[in-house]
Amino acid sequence: MICNSNGDKMGATGKEKPKLYESGRRVDGRGLADLRGIKIESRVLNDADGSAYIEWGKNKILAGVYGPSECIPRHDQSLYRSVIKCRYNMAPFSGMEEHGRSGPSRRSKELSKVIKEAFESVIISENFPKTQIEIFVEVLQSDGGTRCAAVTAAAVALADAGIPMKDLISAVAVCKIDGHMAVDPGKEEDNFGESDMPIAFSPRTGEILLFQMDGLLSREELSEGISLARQASEKIRKIQVEAIAKVYQEPKEERFLVIK
Amino acid sequence: MAENRIVMPGELLSEKPERISYAFVDKGKTYSTVVGLFSEGKLVPLEGPYEPLPDDLIVGIISEVKFSGYSVEINAPYVSFLSSREIRERYEMGDAVFARVDRVDEVKNIDIADAKKLPVGRLVKVSSVKIPRIIGKKNSMIDMLKSATACDIYAGRNGYVWIAGKGNQTLAEKAIRMIETQAHTHGLTDRVAVYLKSQQ
Repeated sequence: MICNSNGDKMGATGKEKPKLYESGRRVDGRGLADLRGIKIESRVLNDADGSAYIEWGKNKILAGVYGPSECIPRHDQSLYRSVIKCRYNMAPFSGMEEHGRSGPSRRSKELSKVIKEAFESVIISENFPKTQIEIFVEVLQSDGGTRCAAVTAAAVALADAGIPMKDLISAVAVCKIDGHMAVDPGKEEDNFGESDMPIAFSPRTGEILLFQMDGLLSREELSEGISLARQASEKIRKIQVEAIAKVYQEPKEERFLVIK
Repeated sequence: MAENRIVMPGELLSEKPERISYAFVDKGKTYSTVVGLFSEGKLVPLEGPYEPLPDDLIVGIISEVKFSGYSVEINAPYVSFLSSREIRERYEMGDAVFARVDRVDEVKNIDIADAKKLPVGRLVKVSSVKIPRIIGKKNSMIDMLKSATACDIYAGRNGYVWIAGKGNQTLAEKAIRMIETQAHTHGLTDRVAVYLKSQQ
């Protein structure tokens, strides 16, 4: 039995593997380098210092940023920099499969850790000694690629909070389906594909800030995947910039969020 | 005048290494660290926490009475300290004071001084980056607010605005909220003047 990154046991769902790539089209009709539709709205929570809501395909994710504020508990605080904390959480109702009870799991702790580490390399934390910056990511609906959508939304939320960063980062996954490298896998491709590889980029320097992979890829496939993801992340950055600028072009009296 | 440009974190500001606040230099080029407005070599952030600097005039709330002074909440990531030696009044928890930041050290221990107790009034919390707009060029905006609403308005550099006096405090608060949401736009003073006139 093979497990994919979502922890779903293939076969446990009892589903047959569909044809993932046929005559130039993927399961949902996209081409190999096409992203799903992405919509980002910034400044949606009243009490957070910065926030963002992202709809990425069928993923619906809410990100909130609090801080910098006094670091609690005190034994965590550093005299040299701000401590960055991240909590990624999947709502119990967020997927087709049973996600069990809400709260930290093996998977969500891992994702919290990798998202935190991606942001630690861009946030200029030396400006705020003895403080903490908290990033909260709530996955309300999931359809594959939530960690990439979470990083993308959290970057917008951090920019909205005015926290100094060296870059506005974005993330996207690439996968191998029926022998072809494709960008931004959905749930089907994630579950039944041969490989899945989420990557976060710093677009200014081209550095990779998050890199995970499961399944097998050859050296050539890997570099093809990275360049596919790099092109896609440039498109995502444009959407992020639009979302941030929109807050100032059309100022809202109150922050509210409508989830359809 | 050059047009204001909205810049994003990591956006190139200059091909040369330059000293610009809220920017950083990497490999000989200057980049922004925040979402801000950039024009004529100056970067003004549109959002962000208050970073106390010496000689800032601030509005603070007494949060704790200690043996040798007071802890004062000043809308920063850090609590500041007001020594009893610096003042002749006595305060209680919850009192509002208008004070000056005296000293900030490298681990952000903040001492404030020259405190003055504020009269009964209301506190409006805005982002600290909007305060220059609320004060205006040569106090133009805040003088207009004061005369139109007949209130005493104390705008702290930290983002706390204290409104006191017998005037129309609600109108003053609404006008400040209006300035907050439109702080990045042109011709704001005129629009606020029209608004204040329409409400009188």
